[in-house]
Amino acid sequence: MIRTTRRLVRLVVALALLVAGGCATVQPWDRDLLAEKKMSFNPMPMILAVDEHIYFSKEASMGGIDVAGGGCGCN
Amino acid sequence: MQLESPKRPSLRDALHTAALALLLVPGAAKAEDAKDRVDFTSLLYGEQSRTQVIEPIIRFTHLWPDGQSVSTQLGIDVITGASPTGALPSGVVQTRTSASGRVLTSPAGQIPVAPFRDRRVSLDSEWQKPFARFLTSTVGGHFSREKDYQSLGVSGKLSTDLMHRLLTVTVGGGVSHDTVFPVGGTPAGLSDATIVHTGSNAKNVSNVLLGASRILSRRWMVGVTGTRTFESGYLTEPYKVISLMNRVTGTPMGDLTDKRPSTRDRSSLLFSSVYHLTDDVFYANYRYYWDTWSVRSHTIDLKYRRQIDPDTYLEPLFRYYTQTAASFYTVGLTQGAPLPDYATSDYRLGVLNTVTLGATFGFHPEDSPGEWTLRAQYMRQSGDSSPPNAIGMQRRFDLAPPINIYAVVLGYSFGY
Repeated sequence: MIRTTRRLVRLVVALALLVAGGCATVQPWDRDLLAEKKMSFNPMPMILAVDEHIYFSKEASMGGIDVAGGGCGCN
Repeated sequence: MQLESPKRPSLRDALHTAALALLLVPGAAKAEDAKDRVDFTSLLYGEQSRTQVIEPIIRFTHLWPDGQSVSTQLGIDVITGASPTGALPSGVVQTRTSASGRVLTSPAGQIPVAPFRDRRVSLDSEWQKPFARFLTSTVGGHFSREKDYQSLGVSGKLSTDLMHRLLTVTVGGGVSHDTVFPVGGTPAGLSDATIVHTGSNAKNVSNVLLGASRILSRRWMVGVTGTRTFESGYLTEPYKVISLMNRVTGTPMGDLTDKRPSTRDRSSLLFSSVYHLTDDVFYANYRYYWDTWSVRSHTIDLKYRRQIDPDTYLEPLFRYYTQTAASFYTVGLTQGAPLPDYATSDYRLGVLNTVTLGATFGFHPEDSPGEWTLRAQYMRQSGDSSPPNAIGMQRRFDLAPPINIYAVVLGYSFGY
């Protein structure tokens, strides 16, 4: 259990370093598009939560989006 | 020809660009002005000849000028319909008694289903607070209760911006103490529904999250998130059964109750990308999931937000999901053979594919304080119709008929 967690942490850190290490620089005054609400990984959190609830109840997988929300007896 | 060296933008230019950006994003500007916000969504969900769900959710958020916010969300699910029991079809009408004492009848050749009705009430709260300039903490709690299940938990998250806000790193975790109290009592696993006790069963869930997102260009942002979830306690589905098949004919001779291991460790790795085209935005996600029950899954999720005008958009979506079966999944058990340690015939733990197609329409009417969203989607689930361990007559039946699911979500959000 701990070994898998460590491996996962290392993998995420390695992938983060890979993209973080790039030389791309975006100046603050060039972030007009990035500041838009739709430029977020999750621009509609409530609809996403509804979707996640549906998929959690109909499939065997979960996770990836956020830390655990409310539990459910549906699966 | 001599090239001019690029001119460094002055502070005045930068302010001018920032002001233009705000003017071009009326929705974001309005949201920032608002001190309070109300979000409402309502889900209408229907499976063909099976489960129907209505789920209204309302969320109140109060925002402070320093970026702090507190939100509370109330949701109610009303669930009716029928779900597969896990039993196999037969060439004749089948009759069995459910855990709650109801007599269930299944037509010949069809997957047996059991009717059910439930109501779930959930309450979630979240407090978000920025510390210093580059640190944001989020603390949350949740409570939900239904006829045979209760969940109580807390979670926390810490995000920090690095490299001049080009990189955001998030760490988080949560714990949840759930309680399962099956209607009619808890049956012994792999038994003929012998009731062991009528009390409650504990289920504990804890999880950790580590994520990083990176701005790659003026138009492109990518992210990677890893999660680990540890579940322990009563993880069995008390109402599901497994058919005992005749070793030659495959005829269902009786049912045994479902039995699953008491621990499950889940892991997932999610890759996300958001790309801004001229006006439109393209979202792409890929998730790989694996757990100690031997389930592996791949999920691809694509959305394209077509900005029709500043206040209107249409967002088609496509999702593809595929999973392998849990190690103890079986279509049925052979009568007279030694029983395994664990077994389930719950199709959600078998080989499964889900395809989702849909679209979200969002609009912000003129002179209206709020924004409307309407999402409609169609899902089709299919499994292994002819599993290798089906014997005799079971080879004639479609043991995983496709399930067609329709869902509509209506949302309205406004700030004041």
